[in-house]
Amino acid sequence: MQESQHGVELIRVSREYTRGGEGVKVFDDVDLSVKPGAFCAMMGPSGSGKSTLLNLVGGLDRPDSGDVIVGDTRLSELGESDLAEWRSENVGFVFQGFNLVPVLTAFENVELPLLLTGLSKAERKEHAMHALELVGMGDRAKHRPGQLSGGQEQRVAIARAIASDPGVILADEPTGDLDFESACQVLDLLGRLHTELGKTILMVTHDPRAAERAERVIHLDKGRINESPAAPDDGFREVKPKEGEGA
Amino acid sequence: MALVPLSYNLRSLRVRKSSTLLTIISVGATVAIFAGVLSLQQGFETLFSDSGRADVSVFLRPGAVSEGESGIPPEKCEIIKKSLPEVQVVDGMPLASAESFLAVRRRKLDGGETNVPIRGVEQMTFTIREGEVALSEGRAFAPGSDEVIVGEKLVGRIQGCALGETIWLNTVPFKVVGVFSHDGPFASEIWCDIRRMSDALDRPWYSRVVAVLNPDADINALKERMSEHKEIPAKVMDERTYYEDQTQALSGVLRGLGTFLAVIMGMAAAFTATNTMLAALSTRSHEIGILLSVGFRPTAIFLSFLFEAVLLSLAGGLVGVLVAFAINGAETGTTNFRTFTEIAFAFRVTPTVLSQAVFFSLLLGLLGGAWPAWRASRMKPVEALRRT
Amino acid sequence: MVPLKLIWRNLLRHKLRVLLTAGSLTVAFFLLCVLQALVVSLDQGVKNASKKRLVVQSAVSLFVNLPISYQGKIETVEGVDETMKMTWFGGYYREPANMFAQFAIDADRMETIYSNVELIEGSWDEFKNTRMSCLVGKETANKYGWSVGDRVPIVGMIYPRLDGSEWQFDIAGIYDAGAEASIDDLTMYFHWDYLEEAMEAGATTGADGIGVYSVLLSDGYSQAGVGAEIDSLFENGPQRVQSTPEGEFNAQFVSMVGNVPFFVGTIGMGVLIAILLATLNTMLMSGREQTRDVGVLKALGFDGSAAFWLLLSQSLILCGLGAGTGIFLALGIEGPLQAVLGSNFPGLQINREVLTPAIILAICVALFAGLAPALRARRLTVIEALREEV
Repeated sequence: MQESQHGVELIRVSREYTRGGEGVKVFDDVDLSVKPGAFCAMMGPSGSGKSTLLNLVGGLDRPDSGDVIVGDTRLSELGESDLAEWRSENVGFVFQGFNLVPVLTAFENVELPLLLTGLSKAERKEHAMHALELVGMGDRAKHRPGQLSGGQEQRVAIARAIASDPGVILADEPTGDLDFESACQVLDLLGRLHTELGKTILMVTHDPRAAERAERVIHLDKGRINESPAAPDDGFREVKPKEGEGA
Repeated sequence: MALVPLSYNLRSLRVRKSSTLLTIISVGATVAIFAGVLSLQQGFETLFSDSGRADVSVFLRPGAVSEGESGIPPEKCEIIKKSLPEVQVVDGMPLASAESFLAVRRRKLDGGETNVPIRGVEQMTFTIREGEVALSEGRAFAPGSDEVIVGEKLVGRIQGCALGETIWLNTVPFKVVGVFSHDGPFASEIWCDIRRMSDALDRPWYSRVVAVLNPDADINALKERMSEHKEIPAKVMDERTYYEDQTQALSGVLRGLGTFLAVIMGMAAAFTATNTMLAALSTRSHEIGILLSVGFRPTAIFLSFLFEAVLLSLAGGLVGVLVAFAINGAETGTTNFRTFTEIAFAFRVTPTVLSQAVFFSLLLGLLGGAWPAWRASRMKPVEALRRT
Repeated sequence: MVPLKLIWRNLLRHKLRVLLTAGSLTVAFFLLCVLQALVVSLDQGVKNASKKRLVVQSAVSLFVNLPISYQGKIETVEGVDETMKMTWFGGYYREPANMFAQFAIDADRMETIYSNVELIEGSWDEFKNTRMSCLVGKETANKYGWSVGDRVPIVGMIYPRLDGSEWQFDIAGIYDAGAEASIDDLTMYFHWDYLEEAMEAGATTGADGIGVYSVLLSDGYSQAGVGAEIDSLFENGPQRVQSTPEGEFNAQFVSMVGNVPFFVGTIGMGVLIAILLATLNTMLMSGREQTRDVGVLKALGFDGSAAFWLLLSQSLILCGLGAGTGIFLALGIEGPLQAVLGSNFPGLQINREVLTPAIILAICVALFAGLAPALRARRLTVIEALREEV
């Protein structure tokens, strides 16, 4: 697994939803810049657009205006099926509700994204087992999600997210449904993905202790992005709301 | 016992629109077809039963099941007409008439062949049937002539059955001089002079005698006497009973068909209802948990689910009945098994049909909803609340 | 592309529901095959009937007999090779419920006219030479345990014996209709002379004349041509005739039993509607339950067509197995079906003409039921799918 080359840039992104006949601006002309390999936490009250931001970065949603650039790819240039393909190669998702396929075993769940690659059955098995062992679930490969605890499920989900070695990991409240101990385990894992594997991680959370694990914390509120005042300064670019300067 | 409010059921039905709709359509289709076949049967049966007269008796050859297979020599017919005290006499003439019956081949106007009844009658038949049979076009045939009158239902369906046309009986041409109407089966028949029919078809024997009995006549005694009679043995019954016999076979088959269809389709419909209710169950388990913990009894939950299922099925039943009404009165025809002749009649959506349809849809709802309702009522609040 | 495992296991997620749906599919398609077989056999009965035999019947009515003198006259028509009297006897064995077909015929001519009929027991000579003898079809013989040499009593309904006794026939042979499509294995054939003798002796009473004449054509002559000749011969009576190809003659009796196409059509339609709706309901429910899975697959990078096939395959598999079992069972029941209904539906078979429409129908049901959920899955966005509460 190589060092990530995937930085994330949002340039003058706007996104609006219609709710009950009215338009609600989730983002209005915001910029964001994340360095490759960074571990970035995003916090904010509900409705502030945290998940929307993740969806935009992951290609699950398109902005009304502006650009989303991940690595060297400008997402707006990709059609739907290209986007799907791009996603399979470059992004790994970790969800709050784990979202493992209940009828598949842990191994089969982790293998899923590998089916989109050209790997042979043997190669897929190798990669999947490797990912499972990385998260410490190698011995539970044949168990179904129903037989696993929440923490174990999330770890399998993380294994799935890294199985095809994507550059970016997008985690939406990964510890939201977990008890304290499991949450710590998951956060440790994510940390290791960042330090040992150099993955770019964007993590949405409302848990300040989870946010502490990240290098950088971004606050979202009413569609505006603010940097946490206590964020360590290590050369990241400052984010200015409503200013449109290219990356 | 407090019942779960109706609004819960209505909301539940609205939430799962497609399943609700499918269940209603499924039940509706089942009920529609069930009602349709029943209406066919009712139309057929009432055609006969409505026109069967209790005061008219039918005399057949002993052992004959219908006039089609009955044969009585003309002389014996005369004796029957004139010698029985039970037969009403008016102006010196016994109200009794000999008739001849044969199912003849005729081509249909839309292709193919069918069997049409030809009835050779004596003039007294018209007297007996006064008020029942009426000429709607043309005139009655002249006695002893090679003329026929055709029943209304044959016009436009059977070749040659229109005013002015010619019908060939074997080698003899008969002219259609009139069209007559009848509320019962005669409207699908061709009538002519009995003697001319005998000659043309070379069938010397007649089929039956019909007679109006005196109001105080004991038909059972007559029946007994005639069955043992040395000279003129005959099978006697009143016209109503005669028609019942005639319609039994086909009625039975149609009812059987209707029931068979109802069962097969009903199973699929009930199953669809069960599926829908099971889905309702899993979506509402949280709600059930709350209701139970608040103090609603399991029976109330059971009734609520059952009620919802019945609501669905009754809605479907309504749809089915409305569809059936669309064919009410539509003209159709089928084969009378006894005489192998085609009978034309209309679909009749009678109260019997309606009540059976409603009852049936109710049954479907109960069957389909029973198990999910039972499962709903057996939920433990803790379990139900846990499932988010 | 989508793992078969996923398709298969998602289909089986709710075993009871899948079982019930598959079960109804099995019942429905079994029925549809049987019904279609009935309709097909009627058609084929007419199509496959002999091209060399005609039936000369009264043009006036089924219930009118033809004069005996007609036989000689028919034989003078060019193209007629052989003729045979056939009169419906209409009796029963011991009880009215045991009614089966009996015909009074020219015993010496049957072998010629129905040349494909084989005697599995007894001999033609025995039949021809003994006036009181009869041939019985193997099915009826089996049913009542009769064999050659037995004397069987038959109660006559159309030709009752005036002293109240039963008719007695000695079985001279048991036949197998074999390739002869228009004859079943259920009928009894006896000497018309025997019947006539009894009528002349006053032992029985009944209509004069012959029911129909069966006519064998010489090679090179058409049924239509010879039939028209015969018809014109008797145009002026005493009884007009209608000569029909044998297959059509047989077919008219079935339509008298009831309007078969009507019954079959109604049942078929009813069954089809019911099964369509039930299967659609199952697939829609199943589809909805898999919404989250579809979301996950798409998030991972599987595209719309993968989601589409995930769902459509399930419908195809479900219908394939359910309907397939039903069709298979119908094949299995061919034998017993022929035994029960063979008399009314000669040549009843579950063959390609029956199976092809059934298979096509199964595919259509699968598509109808599976298309809606499949299209929905294809259109679903990840956000919608993962947000939905099922």
